[in-house]
Amino acid sequence: MEQATTDGALFGFLTAVDAPGHGLFGGYLVVDARGRPVEFLCTAPLKVTRAQQILYGATLHGHLHGEQVGSTLLAESESQPLVVLTDFEPLLAVRSHTSLPVAAVKRPDEAGEAGFAVGSVRILATASDEPVVRERLAAMAAAVDLSEPFERIRLAIEEAQRMTPPARAA
Amino acid sequence: MSGVPILQRLRGRELAWPSVQVLPPVGLAVPRPPVVRMPVTAAPAPVLRIDVEVPRPAVRRFRFERAEQPLAPTPPAARAEVRAPRPPAADRPVRRARLVPPKDVVKPEEKFFYLLQPDLETILQADRLEFPRQPFPFQLDGMAFLVPRHGAVLADEMGLGKSMQAISSIRLLVRTGQGRRVLVVCPKGLVSNWTRELADWAPELVVAVIEGDPQRRRWQWSLPDVPVKVANYEVVVRDRDLVAELGLSFDLVVLDEAQRIKNRAGQTSKAVRAITRQRSWALTGTPVENSADDLVGLFEFVAPGHLSERMPPRAMGAAVADHILRRTKEKVLTDMPPRLNRDERIELTAEQRETYRRAEEEGVLRLADMGREATIQHVFELVLRLKQICNFDTATGESAKLDCLQAELEEVQASGRKALVFSQWVETLGRLEKSLARFGAIQYHGGMSTQARDQAIHRFRHDPKHSVLLLSYGAGAVGLNLQFSQYVFLFDRWWNPAIEDQAINRAHRIGAAGAVTVTRFLSVDTIEERIDEVLRKKRDLSDTILSEAGSPAASGLTVDDLFALFKLAPPARAAA
Repeated sequence: MEQATTDGALFGFLTAVDAPGHGLFGGYLVVDARGRPVEFLCTAPLKVTRAQQILYGATLHGHLHGEQVGSTLLAESESQPLVVLTDFEPLLAVRSHTSLPVAAVKRPDEAGEAGFAVGSVRILATASDEPVVRERLAAMAAAVDLSEPFERIRLAIEEAQRMTPPARAA
Repeated sequence: MSGVPILQRLRGRELAWPSVQVLPPVGLAVPRPPVVRMPVTAAPAPVLRIDVEVPRPAVRRFRFERAEQPLAPTPPAARAEVRAPRPPAADRPVRRARLVPPKDVVKPEEKFFYLLQPDLETILQADRLEFPRQPFPFQLDGMAFLVPRHGAVLADEMGLGKSMQAISSIRLLVRTGQGRRVLVVCPKGLVSNWTRELADWAPELVVAVIEGDPQRRRWQWSLPDVPVKVANYEVVVRDRDLVAELGLSFDLVVLDEAQRIKNRAGQTSKAVRAITRQRSWALTGTPVENSADDLVGLFEFVAPGHLSERMPPRAMGAAVADHILRRTKEKVLTDMPPRLNRDERIELTAEQRETYRRAEEEGVLRLADMGREATIQHVFELVLRLKQICNFDTATGESAKLDCLQAELEEVQASGRKALVFSQWVETLGRLEKSLARFGAIQYHGGMSTQARDQAIHRFRHDPKHSVLLLSYGAGAVGLNLQFSQYVFLFDRWWNPAIEDQAINRAHRIGAAGAVTVTRFLSVDTIEERIDEVLRKKRDLSDTILSEAGSPAASGLTVDDLFALFKLAPPARAAA
């Protein structure tokens, strides 16, 4: 794995897009402190059956996003970012599958006063992760709008959808 | 069968099932009851197995090379000015200029590489690339269009900052290691303009101008650590063999005023096409000047083989759509000061009219006498002669246009404004300079040295005594930034409205402080009026090809048009 250094700090951005007709795509973008892409991973579309939805019940999201999508993407990545950020709350479940600090990026109108502000967004992390997330994000916050990389992932996932025929249920 | 009692049905049969015996009531005479065996174990029920586990999805992975560090360190002063991106206002969506991958990119790795780059604002902010002025959003879009393309035509209307967009894009390529060797080719008169713009918009880039004697040029071409070289078209033609001999290759070649290479058979086109290069960008406000062939010529440099001259205009438009970006002022600069056009219809003086009448009658008679021997050259000479009389009476020196111009300039001078006056003849400029001395008129044309022209611009720009700059269409229509002038006079008309537009846009461009008034002199009942009529009818072709852009780059006069001015059949038809 590529190690993060002070000069070569890396940051992970994790999100998922539920695309009608295709299924759930996970996307993970690792950027350097200037916001330039270093590594990108995306999953094949994942479609959950009705039976799986019923049987997993409330635990589905945690399993699907945290383990099947989030954990898989992080495990396949060769980068070691300082922090993993997500704008999709169910993906926070990935925290129990990784040693990396994970935090959610929220617009102020979504987060209210919760978390702490970085540029135009607010960051929500667990109490144990918050100090380290706050410290590590300082390296890139001056240059990069932390909500912007998620737009790139979505654009790339849209492109991936065009390349992928619609999925059948798993 | 179903209505028969079960015992009757089972009578006398041996059932294989495990059974229990049921005894009848005691009674000797009663016959022995049949034995009924009843099943005691059921067949196993079928089990439906639901696959609960959601399988782990397959993952595709892309790695990108790390962007290189800037070639030159950012000056400390610039560092101090770096600010975090301005948070967007809550009530408006964030507008980001993103790199637009070309449609012909098919490899997913390449596509994702472009899609996953930050928006330009972030790149500029993160790389501490500062600009002397904040670029307009459409200029960022232009950069986002250019940077990922190997073959591109930036065909913005004049005055929208094509060179600034190209320079900023070069800057980005240099920063990311994709542009180590860049060559800018421009008309001779614009070399100093380019070096000035490069110094403004990319101060950290080292620039070399290829000029001087052959030995000096050889040395300049060979300079290894100069990322940007600027050469004029004539130098490129002259040094074609030298460039080949030195084995030079460029990451990017940018052609300014690229309509110069529209003639594929010309030496200029051949020389620039012979340069080994990775990327080919063409800048021109008039990609289609006279015919669709102009575009074919341009694309022989930009994307060889992409177009053929037999393609219908619509097919051509579709084929080049991903390679051309054209915006008009009307479309992108909704808040730009207006351009007010007025045609000043001039009545020739009595003496001028008489001279004109005689010249036309004699000329037409001569052409009629020549019959099939009359060539385009003969017609052209007559047109030029008549146009000159419309400017100044060759017999008396009288000029109704000059009288009108003087009256207009008095007002310009009184209001402290500046005016540009265009003519196609250097001789006319000379006459005007004398007559307009009280307005501090100074000349700018191709017959002057580059240094003298630069000085003329400097004086006109900075010295309030000089209210009028007299320019030839050839030298003054392209590349100059004279947006501090509020008035433009076309003393005589060029053959092609696109060139006139270029001239007008020296003043009506980004940075214009107020409305620009354009006055086109047109002598009534003369050849000027007839030419104007023809040109008005010829604005359709580029509309068709560049329909996306929606702005015409009008066509010029053809041989047929010129003969028709005097109701003469063109040579081919005369021969038939």
